[in-house]
Amino acid sequence: MKGMNQATDLVSTGSTEKRAERKLTDRYQALLFLAPAVLVIVSVFLYPVVKLVQYSLQVQDYGQWKWVGLANYRGLLNDDIFRQAAKNNAILLLCVPILVILSIFFAILLYEKIRGWQAYRSIVFLPYLLAIPVVGIVFSYIFQYNGILNEILRSVGLGRLALDWLADSKLALPTVMVVIIWKELGFGVILFLSRLLSVPEELYEAAKLDGASWWQTHWNITIPQLRGIIQFYSIVAVITMISWVFNYVYVMTKGGPGTSTMVSELYIYQQGFRFNLMGTASAVGVILLIVTSIVIFLQFKVRGGLDSDTE
Amino acid sequence: MSKKRIIKFFSLALVLLLAVTALAGCGGGNDKKTETETQTQTQPVNLTVWWWGEQEAPGAQKWMDETVALYQKEHPNIKIKTVLQSTDQLVPAFKAAAAAKQGPDIQYFWGGVWTLEDAWAGSLVPLNDLIPAEEMKHYINNNERTFDGKQWGIGWYLSGNAIAYNKDLFNKAGLDPANPPKTWDEFIAACAKLKKAGITPVAAGVKDGWFGGWLWQLLNKQTLDSVDDIKKAAVGESKFTDEKYAQWWGKLKELKDKGYFNNDVASLDYQQGQDMWLQGKAAMVFGNDTFFPGWIKQMGVDKVGIMQVPVYGTGKMADTITVTAQGWGVTSWSKQQKEAANFLVFMHTPDRIKAWYDNTGVLPADDRFDASAVQLPQMKQMNEWYLTKPSLNMENFIPSMLEERGIFPGVQLLLSGEKNAKDAAALTEKAIKEWRSSNPAALEKFKNWIGK
Repeated sequence: MKGMNQATDLVSTGSTEKRAERKLTDRYQALLFLAPAVLVIVSVFLYPVVKLVQYSLQVQDYGQWKWVGLANYRGLLNDDIFRQAAKNNAILLLCVPILVILSIFFAILLYEKIRGWQAYRSIVFLPYLLAIPVVGIVFSYIFQYNGILNEILRSVGLGRLALDWLADSKLALPTVMVVIIWKELGFGVILFLSRLLSVPEELYEAAKLDGASWWQTHWNITIPQLRGIIQFYSIVAVITMISWVFNYVYVMTKGGPGTSTMVSELYIYQQGFRFNLMGTASAVGVILLIVTSIVIFLQFKVRGGLDSDTE
Repeated sequence: MSKKRIIKFFSLALVLLLAVTALAGCGGGNDKKTETETQTQTQPVNLTVWWWGEQEAPGAQKWMDETVALYQKEHPNIKIKTVLQSTDQLVPAFKAAAAAKQGPDIQYFWGGVWTLEDAWAGSLVPLNDLIPAEEMKHYINNNERTFDGKQWGIGWYLSGNAIAYNKDLFNKAGLDPANPPKTWDEFIAACAKLKKAGITPVAAGVKDGWFGGWLWQLLNKQTLDSVDDIKKAAVGESKFTDEKYAQWWGKLKELKDKGYFNNDVASLDYQQGQDMWLQGKAAMVFGNDTFFPGWIKQMGVDKVGIMQVPVYGTGKMADTITVTAQGWGVTSWSKQQKEAANFLVFMHTPDRIKAWYDNTGVLPADDRFDASAVQLPQMKQMNEWYLTKPSLNMENFIPSMLEERGIFPGVQLLLSGEKNAKDAAALTEKAIKEWRSSNPAALEKFKNWIGK
């Protein structure tokens, strides 16, 4: 019996050791499997961010980097063109509610299968598939002072409305906004439409039986059902307006006339690649990164709150 | 997987990582070693050339392809890859390459500050040790790229500015095409006649800014004595709001107010403005002579006249023709600097100089070019002006920030009627002050550049 116990002890000690070894092996294996992903994340995301922050605290003095602390950031605060760029990005945020409302409206129309809805679905989504430079060039021609739009206006006796859309500093930014909305709308419509297609039909049937009007039906059923997608799309649109409008502006106005359509991305481009001021360009990059991160953080925060409400 | 195997795996991975790092180090960090050494004939050499020029000198691409083919035939161990850049890409692509210290061996540059800013940034090598002085002395406008007694780039072809006019439209307005206006008053009178005849006097487009720079250098130089005047204003020894620097804005405003530009000048790009003239929709265009051969071919040699920009100023540069040499530099990170310079010299061999003219009709930046080969009367005239009354292009002697933040927007806003001449001048002064405060290192370089 004693011998048996000893044997059992040995077996159990052995299996404990084996278990411990296996645990260690599992841990190494886990690390091993994670390593490539970690390496990619560090090299692709973390390293550039660290370098960006580092450059933002330095100036390039003809080949040599010199530490200047927060001087680049202070310089930005004193630069009215940077302030104008930030202000223009803020104005572009006005596109977000317009995009959301229009996207929901068109998605509902398509969901209700209005006559020719299949064709409309493709037409609405088509602009989103076009390359931004192509869109920019086409609209640059359309909005020229003697372009198609003004020619049409003049031909129907509305010549007084024929304005210099992209060459008047008061009109240029709103005109660019129109193009951005036209281009970005398709993505929102498809997103909302996809969600609508998964809403249970019974909800609408019940509303119909209760005698709910078109407005009541969508206000009380559609909008709550789309809430998650509205948040997602709003965040994506906000990020687009803050840091994804360079192509539109560069192709259509190059920031002009004057600096009336300057945006932060174009500002970065000019500082870094025209004026050799990589430090300042990096500082704006850091600011954009912080702002965008805050927006994403808020999204998670809001989503988290909503998810717990739902539970 | 056993613990031993895992350790073995990690060890192997570590060794591989170290090996890769070491190899990468050998490739990237050894840029001083053997940089200027000529490689032997048998060693393979790869040269990369980033260039621009087909846009303003059609036929340049054909010439470049021929030149590369001939050079590779003569030097079988050398392979040359050429990348034609777009106008908007040219500067930023090189700045990005310079930041990474990777990119072309040979880079195309406009003159003056467009070359020297990158030389100051340590992205170029001086060519004095790579190209013999005896050879270099034949290249025209070397002074645009000289700093600290060193030659940081060399010219390739000449690019000058004059006004091209449509002789038929001049006739239609009752103007004598054989006697185009020479003074500002004559010019204004001619514009009035053209407008009265229902012809747009001057075609232009300033939406993308570039043409604003041309107008500035062509009109503002007339009140200046040399490019040093502009450098002095850049460093703060004088102001862009002083009469000497601001007077030209008044001339531009006069043209705008009298309706002598096309009514959509503010909403067209520079190229669209030029195309408008080419389509016969306007009588005159401030042109670049690199375009003249193509325009003349399209419109007919008897239809196109050229004239100097009418004179209003009394500065020494008033009655001159702007000419710059578009050119090349060799990058500091190139491992084949000598080979790169040899290829540049090959571009200047008599056969290649002649071939350049034959392909493009544009004058090469080399005094060995036989000018008797020039057939077009307009280009003969340009060549004569180059020899008798040349001046440097002022756009090549100002910081890019002044252009982007002062001149381009100033011209746009003045031509769209949103600013007057005084405000536009104030905008340029503001821009240069911003440059001085944000770029003290460049300011020092500019100070050292005055008088040289």
